[in-house]
Amino acid sequence: MSKYFIPVLFLVIFLFAVFKKVKPYDAFTQGAKSAIPFATKVFPYLVSIFVLTELFEVSGISDAVTRLVSPVFSFLGIPKELTKLVLIKPFSGNASLAMLTDIFNTYGVDSYLARTACVIYGSSETVFYIAAVYFAGAKNKKLTLPIVISLFASFCSCVFACFICKIM
Amino acid sequence: MNVIFGIVLIASTFLLIIANPDAVLGAMLSGGEKALSLSVKMVVVYAVWLGVFQLLENSGLSKKIASLFKPVNRLLFGKLPDKANDYVSLNLSANLLGMSGATTPMGIKSVEELEKHPNTRYAIAMFFVINATSVQLIPSSVMGLRTTMGSISPADIILPTILATLLSTVIGVILVRVFCRR
Repeated sequence: MSKYFIPVLFLVIFLFAVFKKVKPYDAFTQGAKSAIPFATKVFPYLVSIFVLTELFEVSGISDAVTRLVSPVFSFLGIPKELTKLVLIKPFSGNASLAMLTDIFNTYGVDSYLARTACVIYGSSETVFYIAAVYFAGAKNKKLTLPIVISLFASFCSCVFACFICKIM
Repeated sequence: MNVIFGIVLIASTFLLIIANPDAVLGAMLSGGEKALSLSVKMVVVYAVWLGVFQLLENSGLSKKIASLFKPVNRLLFGKLPDKANDYVSLNLSANLLGMSGATTPMGIKSVEELEKHPNTRYAIAMFFVINATSVQLIPSSVMGLRTTMGSISPADIILPTILATLLSTVIGVILVRVFCRR
């Protein structure tokens, strides 16, 4: 079902554009033109975020933090196997995807841990990535409060995920 | 951002000097490499989506989508200028449908427009929190992964995911209302 979604949507857009006498070649090219300025604007912020995540991981701080918060998390109902996923998700989509695959392989796709990991992965975003990329061109970069709010809200949904997957 | 970045930078470099000094530069370079390969991928994704979005804009279809979202946007952001309303609506619909390639370019454009908003701080905080807590209705990528890994019922995570993502967005929106207003 879902594999038809984007192609059909595109077809509708293309047909509607032609019907409205938009010149498709000119318009598409004009839109695509801004892709490279976008990417160059975003690139330095991406480098900083990735350097940060890499150092965090390699230096062992990530493991230390995982050990440190694990008891608090398990008190809130988050299993210790998922602590690292909860921690890494705000920083890196790729790393958390790798972790998700890992959990599938270790505990089985349909296990409680794997299902919960899916809900945690699907219900939150890479907060720091969005902060870096969306605001690459912005003058106002005072995002501390919104970042804290987002992290807190995402954390609540992680706790909720661990609970709901037990009963559903 | 500067505080977090500073702390992690200093602490991890310090720890690595003790444990494994060779790894410092290597880790930083490998971070940069990952950023570059992601950027290259993103240029292509941006180009295709921005092309499609230009067709949407020129054909007037984006105005139609925007007018659908107008009441929701007014509730969340207060009164928005037309252009900001257009981009925010496209960003939100891409979010809802889980089209992650499309959310980013529209997100950047939205932020540029929202900066001209009379109540910038509040509108931007709201926009950021909604995007950062994600409002996905169909977790298609996770379901795809589950299918390839041989799950018996890949779809049984849909409802819990919707509930969880809804919860985080609602909490986020309420907190922005309370703490970022004016």
